[in-house]
Amino acid sequence: MSTKQIIYLALIAVILVGLALFPFMTQDDSTFNLVILVFLYMTLASSWNILGGYTGQTNLGHAAFFGAGSLATRLLWVGGFPAVPSILAGGVIAVALALAIGIPAFKLKGVYFAIGTLALALILNITIGNVFPEMSYNPAISDYQIVPRYYLFLGLTVITIAAAYFLVNSRWGLGMMAVREGEEAAESLGISALRHKLLALAASAFFAGLAGSAFAYYHVSYYLNMPFGPEWTFDPMMMAYIGGTGTVIGPIIGSIFFVGLKQLLVWNVGEYHLIIFGVLFILIVLFLPGGLVEAWKKYQRWFTRWYQRRNTSPRNVIGTGHLP
Amino acid sequence: MLSIDTIAVFYKELQAIWDVSLDVNDGEIVALVGPNGAGKTTILRVISGLIQPSAGKISFQGQNISHVPPHKIVELGLSQVPESGKIFTGMSVLENLELGAYVARARKDRSASLARVFEIFPRLAERRNQLAGTLSGGERQMLAIGRALMSEPRLLMLDEPSFGLAPILVEHMFETIRKINQQGLTILLVEQNVQASLELAHRAYLLENGRIVGEGKGKELLSFESVRSAYLA
Amino acid sequence: MFEGLSQNLVFGILVGSLYGLAAMGLSMIFGVTKLLNVAHGELIMFGGYACFWAFSLLDIDPFLTIPLAMLALFLIGAVLYSLIFSRTIKLPDESKVKNSLLVAFGLSVILQNLALRFWTADERGVTPAYYQTSFTALEVRFPLVRLASFAVALIFLIALRLFLKNTYTGKAIRATVQNWEAASLMGIDIHKVYLLSFSIGAALAGVAGTLVVTNYSIQPAMGLGWTMKALIVMVLGGLGSIPGTFIGGLILGVTESATSFFINSNYREVAGLILFVLVLIFRPQGLFGTKES
Ligand SMILES: Nc1ncnc2c1ncn2[C@@H]1O[C@H](COP(=O)(O)OP(=O)(O)OP(=O)(O)O)[C@@H](O)[C@H]1O
Ligand SMILES: [Mg+2]
Repeated sequence: MSTKQIIYLALIAVILVGLALFPFMTQDDSTFNLVILVFLYMTLASSWNILGGYTGQTNLGHAAFFGAGSLATRLLWVGGFPAVPSILAGGVIAVALALAIGIPAFKLKGVYFAIGTLALALILNITIGNVFPEMSYNPAISDYQIVPRYYLFLGLTVITIAAAYFLVNSRWGLGMMAVREGEEAAESLGISALRHKLLALAASAFFAGLAGSAFAYYHVSYYLNMPFGPEWTFDPMMMAYIGGTGTVIGPIIGSIFFVGLKQLLVWNVGEYHLIIFGVLFILIVLFLPGGLVEAWKKYQRWFTRWYQRRNTSPRNVIGTGHLP
Repeated sequence: MLSIDTIAVFYKELQAIWDVSLDVNDGEIVALVGPNGAGKTTILRVISGLIQPSAGKISFQGQNISHVPPHKIVELGLSQVPESGKIFTGMSVLENLELGAYVARARKDRSASLARVFEIFPRLAERRNQLAGTLSGGERQMLAIGRALMSEPRLLMLDEPSFGLAPILVEHMFETIRKINQQGLTILLVEQNVQASLELAHRAYLLENGRIVGEGKGKELLSFESVRSAYLA
Repeated sequence: MFEGLSQNLVFGILVGSLYGLAAMGLSMIFGVTKLLNVAHGELIMFGGYACFWAFSLLDIDPFLTIPLAMLALFLIGAVLYSLIFSRTIKLPDESKVKNSLLVAFGLSVILQNLALRFWTADERGVTPAYYQTSFTALEVRFPLVRLASFAVALIFLIALRLFLKNTYTGKAIRATVQNWEAASLMGIDIHKVYLLSFSIGAALAGVAGTLVVTNYSIQPAMGLGWTMKALIVMVLGGLGSIPGTFIGGLILGVTESATSFFINSNYREVAGLILFVLVLIFRPQGLFGTKES
């Protein structure tokens, strides 16, 4: 292991320990809610990124998996099932949905896949709203505790990010990226585009479904079709882009950035954060397709070069008129 | 009239044209010949402004047009009949010709131009309301040339006008080009039909692998040993 | 039963013409520039607010606000194209469509939140004096406002077709669609053509918006729903065909009203979306389009 890797691992360990000890440092519910929101977005953005970023399939129906997971969990749990199996069932249902729609959906290429998945999510959103028109209330509101929910989200986020990391660094991950760069070329190398896309979709749906489950376990009362809303696709997608698609760290940064910006602007000027976020998103798509991660790398490279030049240029050259 | 000064052209990282210089004088027919993939089309595209040279200079009637957008170049009087015609297949013959006279300078004379084109190519007059996509190969080529003439160019560039035509039509095509030239239009002709085009042209350039490898009076070039062995064997 | 059905069919067709008009701008933009502007619903919304303002502040008849909404949206379209969409125009087709889609999503978020700022989340509508007027023929009711909207949609359909067929500019647009390279060799400034087509598409969204606010109501969150309707119609009608788009609109309108009649009006939109997904999968060239070679 290189020193760099050791430093990274140590850093991750420190962050994890810090997050694990977090409930011992604060009792403030709104702080918990804020951190949980960041976790939720991290899970959604990271899971979107597996299919959207690494495999190049712009999925505009991510909310369908989030919604399916939350619906299954909520119905089971409110119906009297224990929490843990209910939550796992959410992930399983989301994968089942993914596999059911995967084959027809992947007949659609490029932008048709994008609008097709968007339509599927909208169909579910409206239908669930019609079937369950009433607000769903938490049955055990009296002994609601935030701390276990916090750990649930923390665990889910860590697992999602770790799984994404190992997946994209595996042979399957390489195949996914090959598919992103060009399906025909990938096929000619013997990589089955459909299989890789299905795997990416299933993995993406699984973690989105679990995020939905955690959401169902966490939220006191909501309309059951609310997690199917398109904003649960668009916001995480924008976060992934702003952080940097096709990188593990990008969606993490994007989520922190999104929630941070929201907090900052809510305190100052009201609900402007979405306008600013939209502008930023457009700028990134147009001018910085690698997102903030790429911006940081560019800055680092520029800084290193600047630093080297400064330290290697002989002092006496300065002032002789040879430099521009 | 047209002067190209040591241009270089790239497609992404791939260089297609190296240090090409070329001149076309008022009233001339200049032929640019060379094998497939030599870069002939590329040179015409760069002159028309469809792609940008990465080095060198192109000027037309004394004006630097190296980085002028294509529509302004047409406005200046430099038109092109692109490779394989590229007529608007979904429109009628007449609409194609009208579009040829799109630039303001040509638009006001368009009925006179139309009459002239119909005089040169009576076939087009007969088929004026036919959908261009249903024309035969030869008729398409006529339409492409007619359409370019509608813009009242001072210099006309033709990219392989004889491509795919039967020998009798080729002869007719070259005769037409000569006639148009005698009426005062300067011509830069890209051809693979080396024999015929060198006989027609006043001067010619030989292009290979993106470089000019020979230059001379049309008929002189025809007697070059290298040209004979390469193209006329 | 029968009367209910024919009444329903008539409403479906009247509404469908509006859907056709809503899609016409989107289709025009996509057909010419290959930009997929999914913020089209927000442009329709802005057209609606323009009408709402003119009606409620200046007391102008909603149908007379159409030129105003067109002009406003034409300008907005020109600005949006120059500032944002023109930067994706030179990409190869596939990444152009994808990037324009993403950028337009960002734009729809921005426009939606701007609308919230300006006009709050309240639903707005306009109710001219003749709002309740209707005619009855063969026991079917024809509300005046809906009939007038149908006429407006039809007029714009015909006007757009005449413009593209018969004017020099229209021919330049068609030439650019067929072959942009050949078009620029004719002396056509293709970037101007793109700018103009985008602005015309936005202006058509403006017209659709005035009809939406007169027939229904508008609010800042309406954008996505109308974008979807326009997308559905565009795909049904086959890309780039104006009559196809209009007929696609009628099909969507009738599908929706039939669903309301036979099933439940809550599933109206679901029916349209399912139709959309089916067409995407089984007949991506649209119901009337022919396979491109
Ligand atoms: N759009 C492009 N992208 C990349 N390379 C290109 C492109 N167009 C042409 N080339 C390359 O540039 C070189 C010159 O091509 P060009 O079309 O100019 O040749 P040409 O002399 O016109 O050939 P032909 O007689 O076959 O028409 C070729 O090697 C070709 O592969
Ligand atoms: Mg060529």
